[in-house]
Amino acid sequence: MAVSTADHAVVADPGVALAAARARRGAGRVLVTLARSVAIFVPVFLVATFLTFALRSLSGLSPAHIQLGESATPDAVARIEHQWGLDRPFLAQYWTWFTNILHGQLGTSWTNGANIAELISNGLAVSLSVVVLALIIGVLFGFGLGTLAAVRRTTWIDRAITGFLTVFSVMPPFVVGIVLVTVFAVGLGWLPAAGYVPASVGTWPWFTHILLPALALSLDPMADVARQLRSGLIAAYQENYVTGAIVRGLSPRRIFLRHVLRNGVGPALSVLGWRFPTLIGGSVVTEWIFGLQGFGRFANDSAQAGDVPAVQGVLVVSIVLVVTFNLIVNIVLGRVTPASQRGV
Amino acid sequence: MVRRVLALPTGRLAVGVLSVIALLAILGPTLAPHNPLGTSALTLTGPSWKHWLGTDYLGRDVFSRLLAGSRTSVLGSVEVALIALAVGVVPGILSVYLGRGFEWFTLRIADTLLALPFLIYAVAVTALLGNGIPQAMFTVGVLVSPLFYRVTRAATLAVARSQYVEAALISGASIGWIARRHVWGKVLPPVAVALAQTIGVGFVVVSSLSFLGIGVQPPAPTWGGLLASDLGYLSYQPWAPIVPALLIMATVWGSNLLADAIRDVSGEAGRALLNSRRARARRLNPAEPIPAGGAAR
Amino acid sequence: MTRTLPDGTVTAAVPAARPADPPALDPPAAQAAALAVRDVRIRDDVNDREIVHGVSFELRPGRAVGIVGESGSGKTLTCRAILGILPAHFAVSGGSIEIVGRDIAELTTPQWTDLRGSTISAVFQDPASYLNPSIKVGAQIAEVIGVKTGLRRRAARRRALELLTAVHLRDPELVYDQYTFELSGGMLQRILIATAIAADPQVLIADEATTALDVTVQAEILDLLADLRERRGLALVVVSHDLAVVAQVCDEVLVMREGEVVEHGSTADVLYHPRHEYTRLLIAEHEQYGLDRYLAGEQRKELDSVH
Repeated sequence: MAVSTADHAVVADPGVALAAARARRGAGRVLVTLARSVAIFVPVFLVATFLTFALRSLSGLSPAHIQLGESATPDAVARIEHQWGLDRPFLAQYWTWFTNILHGQLGTSWTNGANIAELISNGLAVSLSVVVLALIIGVLFGFGLGTLAAVRRTTWIDRAITGFLTVFSVMPPFVVGIVLVTVFAVGLGWLPAAGYVPASVGTWPWFTHILLPALALSLDPMADVARQLRSGLIAAYQENYVTGAIVRGLSPRRIFLRHVLRNGVGPALSVLGWRFPTLIGGSVVTEWIFGLQGFGRFANDSAQAGDVPAVQGVLVVSIVLVVTFNLIVNIVLGRVTPASQRGV
Repeated sequence: MVRRVLALPTGRLAVGVLSVIALLAILGPTLAPHNPLGTSALTLTGPSWKHWLGTDYLGRDVFSRLLAGSRTSVLGSVEVALIALAVGVVPGILSVYLGRGFEWFTLRIADTLLALPFLIYAVAVTALLGNGIPQAMFTVGVLVSPLFYRVTRAATLAVARSQYVEAALISGASIGWIARRHVWGKVLPPVAVALAQTIGVGFVVVSSLSFLGIGVQPPAPTWGGLLASDLGYLSYQPWAPIVPALLIMATVWGSNLLADAIRDVSGEAGRALLNSRRARARRLNPAEPIPAGGAAR
Repeated sequence: MTRTLPDGTVTAAVPAARPADPPALDPPAAQAAALAVRDVRIRDDVNDREIVHGVSFELRPGRAVGIVGESGSGKTLTCRAILGILPAHFAVSGGSIEIVGRDIAELTTPQWTDLRGSTISAVFQDPASYLNPSIKVGAQIAEVIGVKTGLRRRAARRRALELLTAVHLRDPELVYDQYTFELSGGMLQRILIATAIAADPQVLIADEATTALDVTVQAEILDLLADLRERRGLALVVVSHDLAVVAQVCDEVLVMREGEVVEHGSTADVLYHPRHEYTRLLIAEHEQYGLDRYLAGEQRKELDSVH
């Protein structure tokens, strides 16, 4: 927007006031998008963290049982719970916990007293490597397949792609994971079946280790993006503005690239936004299959061990990831299709 | 509506697949030829006349375990769908009528539940609340309920704001009558679509959980659990995951297909489909015009 | 031959300045028809029915033809056939259409792309939907200019601003950077007209272009069309269910009913000596609602010219 404003000052002669008005308008649009997104996500964050915190009271778990075993005396239990501050009123505990979270402190583990934020950040590098690669694969192939299917719709290409997407979408990540391990690791021996190598050791080993889990995770968003894009593009082709563009004498290629794609991409982008939680969730399963010490694995292990603060920490981090990702998606959406942002 | 769904080939296929799976769930455990928990010395054998799908690492008959596990796996997903329905539909309808406060509050809750990475939450909540099937079903059900909330809310809104309902209100029809007459007919098809979808989603989540060993006690067989135990022995039996994987995929596929079929017969799309078929039958050249600019011929 | 609307407020809003390009019209071309429609028939393949049973008319540069009829009379299908954008399952089953002497049945897609915009163009009812909601309206006009005339960005922008002025929009600089959802129906119709004439076409089809607008805006748009016709030598096809709209701009009127042309003649003939019963009915309706304003205006103008 800033660029176009500068542009204007040159063209428009009486334009100082005008340019100012335009700058306000441009900045206003971005601000409105941001404000709208924040208005949605702040309550989401509050409710989600509250639910997360309430988990401890609901579970009735206590560090005392983990440290002392089931046979602990009530006195010992009370003493340990006092140490952890668990005898304070619920809302007071919540407030302390919440303000700590805002400062990036996720507390200490019940099982070994380690700093949870540190434990999670170790796992996060692994998980994010996989998730980001999965997103890239999913978006690239999803866009390619969806566009191809829409442009060649009702032909055998469309039917073949739709068929493949159906198969992809009914394969849960753990099934895909097992198939990939069977074929590429056990059968062909091309890629390692499990484990992780940090990128600092070598980019290629790092890539080969995260490729299979990322593929396993990518099929779901790929199928979603492709299908949404296909129907979004087909729907956009039915719109009057396409007729308008045809009548103005724009070429089919131009109409597709500049008019249809821009409007048809909206549903695919938003589906990506609300599919992101599934992707994060899927990492629990893929990390288990591929023996990755990621954050999903950490969530699973801590949950099974009854380590409530660790579980809460993972959940908070996952909420932050989801909210951030959706904010980005919303801002991109606001840029691509401004009309979609005026309250639906 | 059932008849119209069955009139569609995809509808028949979906109902067929789901019926077979349902039969497995009902009769499976009684049909099992061996004790699904009975171990033997014959470990990791290939398929034979006695053991159709071979045996696992403890020498248990895989086919029996598959049949015995079908009930937990399938019933689980149905349970999830029903819980989601119960939790989602009522606030969905009420959000339109109970004023702005309630509306805002329920909308925020729905947003939140949608934003939660629900497999992680399902794992966390189920494990922390005592690692049982009911906890798992309930958690997953609540987590997927926003789908029902949104769907019923959208349908109810469309009806509530429409002029024929206003007209009915003005002419003195009771709220109950309107709900039965207008709201129900509009709300039911999208809810049916959502239900079919949720069974698919629920099934994936339930099998993912059982794959991780959450919500089930170890010896009890489930389809997800079967896959998990196959994973360790892939180099001996690379074919072992095929059957449980296919069953899981067939179930998800069947429910997605059913959702599509219901949507097709209850919407605008169904008519368009019919029209283009008729036109194509009439016209000699079967090529459909592509509206990608250019001449329409 | 051209009538100006006897509407004082409208003419007052017209800025005096306008681009100094002469109408793209050379005298020999004026003799040839810009658009010739001969016994065009359109059928619907879904119901296997003929919808339009033979429409014929000829349009010379700078002239205006009106098509009047109720919805479903086949007037919009006729327009779409002329533009080569019939909806799926509809096809021209007889007759021929020639645009500046070229039979459209033989046009390939690239030839159509060349022809549209620069030779023939169209505006429609519900202008908001015919503009891309995600692109600033000014950029959409500039796009047409850029593609059709090869002007560079800066120049295309300046030309688009001129066009926005030419369609009588106040504050074109501001409008240029707005999206469709930020503008009113009347403004959008002006913008749609600006995009349609951006590449200087010879024929403009206005399909119910004023229908959804309120009466004063409608009058302004019609005035704009008449103005463009006069200044640029634009040939107009004005389609409407409203006889008054057509009468205001056109020299020649076709009355359509159920796919049939029931009356065809000069505007004055059709208005004052209707032969078909349906036309009489249309006029009778208008005497009660809209047309009397037009007739009264006509009288007033005559009075004015006496003074």
